[in-house]
Parts: sequence; C-alpha cells; structure tokens
Amino acid sequence: MTSMVETGGVNRLPDSFGRLIDRKRRVAFSFEGREIEGFAGDTIAAALAANDQWVLSRSFKYRRPRGILTMAGQDSNTLVQIGAEPNVLADRRIIEPALGVMGQNYDGSLEADRGNVIELFGRFLPVGFYYKTFYKRGSWKFWEKIIRGRAGLGKVDLAAHHGYFDKQYLFADVAVVGGGPAGLSAALQAAEAGAEVILIDEWPALGGSLCYARLGREGDAAFNLAEKLAAQVKAKGNIHVLSDATCTGWFADNWLAIVKGSRFYKLRARSVVMATGSLEQPAVFRNNDLPGVMQGTAAQRLIRLYGVRPGRKAVVLAANDDAYGVALDLGDAGCEVQAVVDLREQVPETAMVHATRGRGVPILAGYAVTEAIPGTAKLGILGAAAARIAREGETDGAAAVFECDLLCMSTGYSPAGQILHHAGTKFTYDHAANMFQPAILPPHVFAAGSVNGTYAMEAVLAEGRRIGWAAAQDAGFARGTEPPAVTGDRGSFGQTHAWPIFPHKAGKDFVDFDEDLQVKDLVNGIADGYDDIELLKRYSTVGMGPSQGRHSAVAAVRVLAKETATDLATLSVTTQRPPYVPEKFGHLAGRVFEPERHTAMHHRHHELGARMMVAGLWYRPAFYGKPEDRDQAIREEVQAVRSNVGLIDVSTLGGLDIRGPDAAEFLNRLYTFTYAKQPVGRSRYVLMCDQTGAIIDDGVACRIHDEHFYVTATTSGVDGVYRLMLQWNAQWRLDVDVANVTAAYAGVNIAGPRAREVLAKVCHDVDLGPEAFPYMGVRLGSVAGIPARLLRVGFVGELGYEIHAPASQGEALWDALMAAGGTAGIRPFGVEAQRVLRLEKGHIIIGQDTDGLTHPFEADMAWAIAKNKAYFMGGRSIAIQTARPLTRKLVGFTLEDPSAPVPEECHLTVRNGEITGRVTSAVRSPTLDRVIGLAYVAPDQAAEGANFDIKIAGGRLIKGRVVKLPFYDPETKRQEM
Amino acid sequence: MAAIEPHAQLRRSFVYRKLRDLGARFETVNSGAVAIDFGKAAAEMETANLLGLADLSPLPRTGFKGAGAVEWLQSQGLQIGAESNRGYRQPGGELALRLAPSEIFLIDSLAGSGALIERLNQAWSWGSEKPRKLIGYPMPRADSHAWFALSGRAAPEMFAKICGIDLRLDKFEGGRIAQTSIAKMSGIILRQDQGATPVFHLLADSASADYLWEALLDAMAEFGGAPVGLSALRGLA
Repeated sequence: MTSMVETGGVNRLPDSFGRLIDRKRRVAFSFEGREIEGFAGDTIAAALAANDQWVLSRSFKYRRPRGILTMAGQDSNTLVQIGAEPNVLADRRIIEPALGVMGQNYDGSLEADRGNVIELFGRFLPVGFYYKTFYKRGSWKFWEKIIRGRAGLGKVDLAAHHGYFDKQYLFADVAVVGGGPAGLSAALQAAEAGAEVILIDEWPALGGSLCYARLGREGDAAFNLAEKLAAQVKAKGNIHVLSDATCTGWFADNWLAIVKGSRFYKLRARSVVMATGSLEQPAVFRNNDLPGVMQGTAAQRLIRLYGVRPGRKAVVLAANDDAYGVALDLGDAGCEVQAVVDLREQVPETAMVHATRGRGVPILAGYAVTEAIPGTAKLGILGAAAARIAREGETDGAAAVFECDLLCMSTGYSPAGQILHHAGTKFTYDHAANMFQPAILPPHVFAAGSVNGTYAMEAVLAEGRRIGWAAAQDAGFARGTEPPAVTGDRGSFGQTHAWPIFPHKAGKDFVDFDEDLQVKDLVNGIADGYDDIELLKRYSTVGMGPSQGRHSAVAAVRVLAKETATDLATLSVTTQRPPYVPEKFGHLAGRVFEPERHTAMHHRHHELGARMMVAGLWYRPAFYGKPEDRDQAIREEVQAVRSNVGLIDVSTLGGLDIRGPDAAEFLNRLYTFTYAKQPVGRSRYVLMCDQTGAIIDDGVACRIHDEHFYVTATTSGVDGVYRLMLQWNAQWRLDVDVANVTAAYAGVNIAGPRAREVLAKVCHDVDLGPEAFPYMGVRLGSVAGIPARLLRVGFVGELGYEIHAPASQGEALWDALMAAGGTAGIRPFGVEAQRVLRLEKGHIIIGQDTDGLTHPFEADMAWAIAKNKAYFMGGRSIAIQTARPLTRKLVGFTLEDPSAPVPEECHLTVRNGEITGRVTSAVRSPTLDRVIGLAYVAPDQAAEGANFDIKIAGGRLIKGRVVKLPFYDPETKRQEM
Repeated sequence: MAAIEPHAQLRRSFVYRKLRDLGARFETVNSGAVAIDFGKAAAEMETANLLGLADLSPLPRTGFKGAGAVEWLQSQGLQIGAESNRGYRQPGGELALRLAPSEIFLIDSLAGSGALIERLNQAWSWGSEKPRKLIGYPMPRADSHAWFALSGRAAPEMFAKICGIDLRLDKFEGGRIAQTSIAKMSGIILRQDQGATPVFHLLADSASADYLWEALLDAMAEFGGAPVGLSALRGLA
C-alpha cells in the first residue's frame, strides 16, 4: 500500500497521482463557511474529497444528500452556489483563492436539511404530479406557496454584477470535437492530409480517458499514450487546440457553438469529426444516489487527475473489464477493495481480472448490488448488499453485506452522442453491444471512438486515423495514403450490461438523479398511458433536469421497452437539442453590440445641456435644459422660433439622391404627387403609400438638376423607403441611380422671423431675398465656406431654411450659425418644440398621426394625390378605398373646456360607448394658449365645429371640438415671408 | 508641420474628441485635421505591428456609381480590374475599391494629397450632350463613411470577435474586399498591407463612428492593441 500524504487533505495521494494539480501552489477557499485547502488545479469537488467532505449538495425534489457521481461535470449532483452564481459544477470548476462555495437546495444546513422531511411524503408526490393535481379547481392556490418556495436551482442574485462575456468566430477545414485517443488520432491524420484542424477538448490536458483510465495491468500505459499523442498534436503547425472548451451544439452547415470561459466561439468547419467518447452509466439499485456511490471512472479521475483517494473501503459493481481496472487503481491508491460484484455470470479471465484475483479481491460472478446501506442522515454509505441474480433485474434475495464507504459502478457506457444528435445522426440499438450506436451520419459529419461504438484501443486509434483522413478528404484535402478501414472486433461487446437495473421493493432506486425519479415512477407513468418515450419524458420529467438524461435516458428506454414488451431496437432515446451543457445568457449576449448613430453636432447638443431622445438608432435633442425644467424649456424654444430665431439639428432626416434620365418618372411612380414638370430649384411634397394604399412616408423632393432629385424621408422611414426604391428600380428597369446619402449630410433648420437675417451673415453666394429664394425654393451655395444644399421649408410654420451640408463639416456649420445668431439671441430647439410647432401648423407626422392602415383620404391628404397619373404605388388601392365611405377622419381639435386636461396620444374618441377613433397628437399650445390636437373621429363628426367625446385616463369623458387646420397662421404668411 | 486643434478646421474627424482625449497630436492633411501621433512614435510603430487602430477619416475619398461609372474612371486614367470586391492600387497609391460592377469607392494614399480625387470630382459634370453620355454619379464617400485602419498581426483574430468573415492572413489576401457586418454595423473591409504589416482598411457609417471606435478598442484590448497615429501607419511601408 502506498503511504498517505497529509498535505492538501487527508485523502491526498502521493506525488505519483494527480496529473492536473500543482502541489507547489496551495489554494485556500471556503465551503459552507469552512476553510478548505487544496492545490492549484483542483476542482472544488476534488479539493473537498481530499478533505473528506463528500456531501456537495442536495437533490432537487427529496433533498437527499448528493456527492460525486462522474467527476466530469455530467451530472447535477455537484451543483453548488458561488456568490451570485448558482449551479456551478463543483467537479469542473477550478478552485481559486477565497472562493466562497455553498451547497444548494437545503433549509438550515447542508448536512441537516429541514427540507429533507419531504422524502417522508414521497408517496404523496406521484409521477405526473402536476398532471394529476392541477386540473382540479383551487389546487394551485393550495400548492403555489409550497412550489414557489422550492422551485428553482440555486439562488439568483437580481443585483448580480454583469460579467465580461464576448464571442469570437473560428474557421477550420476540419473540426475535431473531443481530445481523447480517437480525437487526437483523427486530428493528427487530418492535419497530415493538409487540413487546418481545430481540436476542441473539455479538459485542461489532452488525452481524454487515457488521462485517468487503465490500459491493462500496467497503470501508466494509457497516460504514456496520451502524452505521446498530445506531443504529436502540439508539434503540428496546422492543429489549433482549444482546451477547457466545450462544444455545446451543432447547427446547420457545420456551425459549432463552443464555450470556453467567458467566451462563446462560433466555429465554421468544412467537416466535423465527433470523437466525444462515451458516458459511463450508473446502475440502478436502492440508494444508488448517496454520497460514496460513484462511477468507476469518477474514482479513477479522482485518483489520477487530482491525487485523491476516493474512499477507504470499496466495493466495485462490475459488468466489464474496465471495472477491474478500477479495482486495481483503487488498490494502488490505498483503498481496500472488499469485493468485485460482477453482474456477468461468466467473467472472462483477462489480465486485469487475473491481477485483481492476484490481489486477493473476492469476485462474485452473477451477483448484483441490491442496496447501498446508508450511513447517518444518508451522508454517506456504510456498506453494499450483494445478492445472486435470479433473473433479469431480480436477485434471489439472500444478500451478503460488504462494509465499505465507496461503491464504484462500472457496468456500461452510452455514446456521448448528443452533438451527433444535433446534427441529425440516427442512432440504433445494438443488442450485441447493449448500446445505442450511430447508424446514419449526415454529410460532412464523422464519428470515431467510443461514441461510434469503438472501444478497443488499437481499433480506436485506427478508426481515428481513418476518420481523420476521410474528414480531411471531405474538406478537400487528401495528402498521403488513405489509412485502412477498421475491421474485426472494435471492442464494443462486453462493455455494457443489458440490464443493470435492480428495482427494490422499498424504492429509492433512482433512474434519474436530477429529478429523483425511481423505477416505480417510470413504471407507473407507463401504466398511466404515457407509453412513448417522448410522452413519458414530459409526464415523469425523466431527462428534463440539468444533466438532460445523460444517465437516465438509456435506463428509461430500457424500462419502457420492458414494460411495453417492445424490442429496444425499435425505440430511441428522446430528442437531444442544443445546448449540450448550459450556456449562460452572458455567453449568448456577448458584448451586446448596439450601434448608435450620432449626428455631426451630437457633442454640441450635450455641451448645450440637451436631453437626448432615441429615434431608431439616432440620438436627437428632445429639448435643452434640466429634466425638471422640461415644459418651460420647450415653451421657450417654441417662443424663440415664433418670435425670433431657432436652430434645430435635422441631420437624422433621410436623404436620397435620385439621379438619371428617368429620375422624375421614378418619383412619379413611387410618390402620390407629380414631379415631371417640377422646375429645377424647387422642392415639392412627397407622400408615399404602400401597395395597400396606406401612408408609409413623406418628405420633400428637391430638384437640383433636370436629372437629379434630392429626396428627404422620415428618420425612421428612410431605410424602408430606400429598400423599396431599390426593389422597384430593379423591377422597373428605369435609367435611375438611387443612393442613400442620409449619413453623408448633416442638416439644420434655422427658423423664425429673423432666420434670414442670421443666415445672411454667413451665406454670401445665395440671394436669400423672398423673391429670389421663395418658399419651397432650393439652392446650392455655401454657408460659412461650407458647401450646402439650402431648402426653404415650412414644417414649423415660420420663415425657415433647411441647410444640408457634408457631415464632416456639420459641426462647423452649427458653430457658424450659432455664432452668427449670437447677437440675435438664436436658440437651439429640440424635437419636442418642433412637435409643438408643427402641430400648431397642423402638419402630421407619419407614424404618429397615421398608422399601418391610414390612407390619404382619412388623413385629409387628398390634396397630395395627383389626379391624372396613370400609375403610382398604392394608387389602385386608394381608388378602391375612396369609392367606399370613410370610416374615420383625421381632424384638428381643441377642447370645449379650457381647463380640461390635455388628452394623451391614443386616448379614445367615443360615441355612445363605441370607439370611433383616437387622439394622435395633443398639446397645450404656448403660442395659442389652448389645447390643440389631432384625432381620428367618425366622418359625420368631422365637420368644423362638431363636438366629440374623448375618453381620458380614469374613464372621464371630455368634449373636443373640430377646428379647421392649421391652428396657427391660417393664411401661411409667416413661412412665406 | 505644426500641431493644430481639430476644431480649427471646417472638416473634422467623426471621432476627433476621442482622439484628443487620448492625447493625439493633430496635423493638417489636405485641410483636414489628422491624428498624426499620440506622442510616442517608437511605441506606436511597435503597436502598429502588433495591433493598431488609426483614424483616417479626414483623408480624402470619394466614390462613383451607376451606369458608365467604371468606364468613365478608366477613361480618366484609373486602373480598375474586372473583378468586384477587389481593391485596385493606382500609381499614386490611391486605392479604387470595386464594390460592384458599377460602383467604385476611391480612397486616397496615406499621403493624403487628394490630387486624383480632386481632379475626378472636378472632372465629373452633367455635361450638355443630348442624349447625355452615362458616366455614373459621384458619391459623397468622405462624409457617408468613417475611415479607420487596423494594422498588425493580431488584426485578423481581433476581427474574428466582431465580424463573421474569415480574415486570416492566408485566407484573405491583400486587395480583397469584404462587404459585411462588423460589430452589428454594415461596413467595408479592404486588406492592403503596408510593407510586411497586415493592414485592413475599414469603411463604415460615419454617424456610428463613435460607437465603432469604442467597439474596436474593446475588441483590441486583449491583444494589447491601441490607437496609433497616421505617422506610425506611414512608417510601416
């Protein structure tokens, strides 16, 4: 027996064990408030096991103590909480200094859980509990508090700090998933063939099972092979190894999702080799879930990877030769093996069996473990009861008890084929091997090693070479000679027992540890009529926990096959979907790229104290001033424009250059007005409807040249308008070029009675006089030395000039106009003031005063429709609509009661309790000192002076009165000054 | 050339405040204020070889598109090959990016004299012929697009964090163009190495330049990447 080393825990083994730990670096952390010391490289579970702490958490349903099962992060037994992070896999998370680890799912303390009392009431929680309970009226009321109190795994901290997560693309000719012997062999061969290879492996060291398993009598043969293969991989320049990385899913066209730390990789490969290995399966017997009962490979991982003795006295439940490797390894680690209980009637006398016998370990052939004997409070086990197998799943009942604190299960495997499932691989059950195996692989996807049913090491390596070459060839590389096909026995027979399930009359024989499901639960579920595996899954929740059926799916199918007397070969496990392991929302979110668009004057607005508002991706000044002064600021901005001069940034307005011989014809077809005879130097309103006749955008078309229109569009509408233009241009094949120049032009509107006076100070090459440059005129010139397109527009109802200039000079343009307006008291104004100003003028805003169904006649826009055009987009629909009576009409209104509150957008207009329309805009006008607004009303209530009711907040009705538009300056003299 | 304040110019970079905050020294290049360096010339050269980000937005550029555009540019002496999504180097060092059969995005050399671009902008006119000869239409590329350059050996790996195109040096050779999504924005990437150093020119929405600059710096941080001046980029040649 090897001598024990106290350092790093009472169960720590000497230096020859523990490949992943660095004994020179001690790491202290806490578990349940108790200080624990481990070594760098230890996982939480390994360090705790080294310190004789075997209970890690409690089960979700019955709160049974749980400990190490796989040591591979494949089960939910080891889920712990670290600070704000719940559900951390204790058998995979590496310890760090000062890590504060707590168990999950208990009330009181981990080792004395008050909630464990529920186990006593287990019979009142039958399979299909939800199905059987909640169809009864009132049952939810009774159960809600109990269920909410116990629901969820771990504790979510709603104030948790946002971590730094990101994503990265990867590209490869061949991707190999799994760094075990098959994966290493495949990667080497694919690289040899000339392919660029990415090898993805979950572990910090390459080698897979070679790092912990035992090949034959000599303990180090496997590891020596791992080191040799890993060195060859490292020497290859065209193999990129991603260690500590988990492939979580396969998606179309060989797109692999990979999680490594806080990064989410998106790998695109021409071909993929799945060498994901196999998952050792637990046997089913009473108390098979307690701490101290673990898989043989888990014990080997503890010994070889972390240098931890898994127990003091052990029993090995066997059904294959690997179990004897476990027995030998346990012996090497100083653990007293009491017996090997082998399910097989005939045990082949292999080298490892022989060696086990040689150590004096009793081998009980044809026996099963019927029960693990629990210790105090089920925190561990005291022994294992074994009995002779009488027939499938049954023993003769006369049990012998072996004293032990460790019971290792080595009774078989199932392919880790989840990602192959994602790719659409068909699996079939092989009765000879007692395992599901991949039968039909999709194109460009390959499988090698035990996931493919190949277990014999020489065959695994040969298959890896063969498949690596095939994958490279599939990716377009074929350097070297094709390795020979693997023939003969691949070692899949005798690995897995056909029926390692021994139900106990007292139950607690768990098939699914996540959900605490016992054999009888599945049997009862099937008896309840859920006799299809997909139905049984949903009814019983088998396979629905965090480990997603990795250890329960095959056992559940076996039980189903038996209970329904169905051939297993006709069944399959439930559908496997990504992700293979949990992905955090942080992984999926990554850096959360959210582009923002800033106008050229964006920073000037901030400097002037603007409160910004979002318009699509754009940021626009809502108003200038403190939030608490909002209303006052808006009023003052409105007054500045009405009585003096204001400046607004309109850069976000869409800008489209339409150029070519057919430019006017193009606009004629797209917009409702006519443009063929529009003079150069003039702008004209544009109104766009979709094919159903609904209004979708508006703006102005400025004719800069006979063949050139500069068309504006709404901030949020321009991208859609541009897309429509490209689509129709391609269809109509007119001689027109369409360019979206929105970002290229900054724009301002200088508006107010003194606008001309201010502009004249910096614009010397355009005659700004009312005759030379009238309302709706367009000029090219320069402002403060900056080339500009000048438009006389009237959106706010005052003398105004829109100036569109190159974006790179937009800030300089703003600076020049603010400086020029300094003595006049120019004031910047924001979108809020503009909305008031335009409403006073009765102008609609598309999308606010219209909706997805508004046609021009409803919106009182008939004036914008050309009467004699052969065609325009939506024209036919509008003609049909106008032939029918109107159902609503947009009108201007004011309130009969001047003291009534201002209605809000979308407050309803009603008549006799029936909805007739809605308010679209409303404001108390600073200029007119009364409430003004736009609303849809019934057509017979749309005449000037008609009254209608508005239902405001709280259900109160207030009286509106229809007013002729515009509210302000009805003769439009001010904007035409 | 004497250092200047960027806002002394009418034409300003879309990210000049960020550059100024990082300690950039500006010089005038063709009436635009360019971040020439950040006061650490030698270190910037090293960074430029590893992973540098330079703002070239003030340098001249233009574009022409539409029927007849390429033929007209060729008649003006430009050397433009038949393949789209390639950048064609001109004798003066300018690069004509053929984005489509009838679309050219022309960027100046790092000298930034703007001579060719100015000549073309002047040469283009509607003309008076009837019917008019189709020669394409000018595009305001100096204003629609910010212009950044990413240099250095770590650039492809950095791009892999924000862009789905395989830009590894042996897969995306010099002269190739990708019109793609970068940090969720539409953009144009052209690889045009300076000497032995890989350089990727990035042209994207000028209105989102602030956002893109920050997204790039964030993606660059793990590689030790940092902003560099035009001077370092020129020094790579």
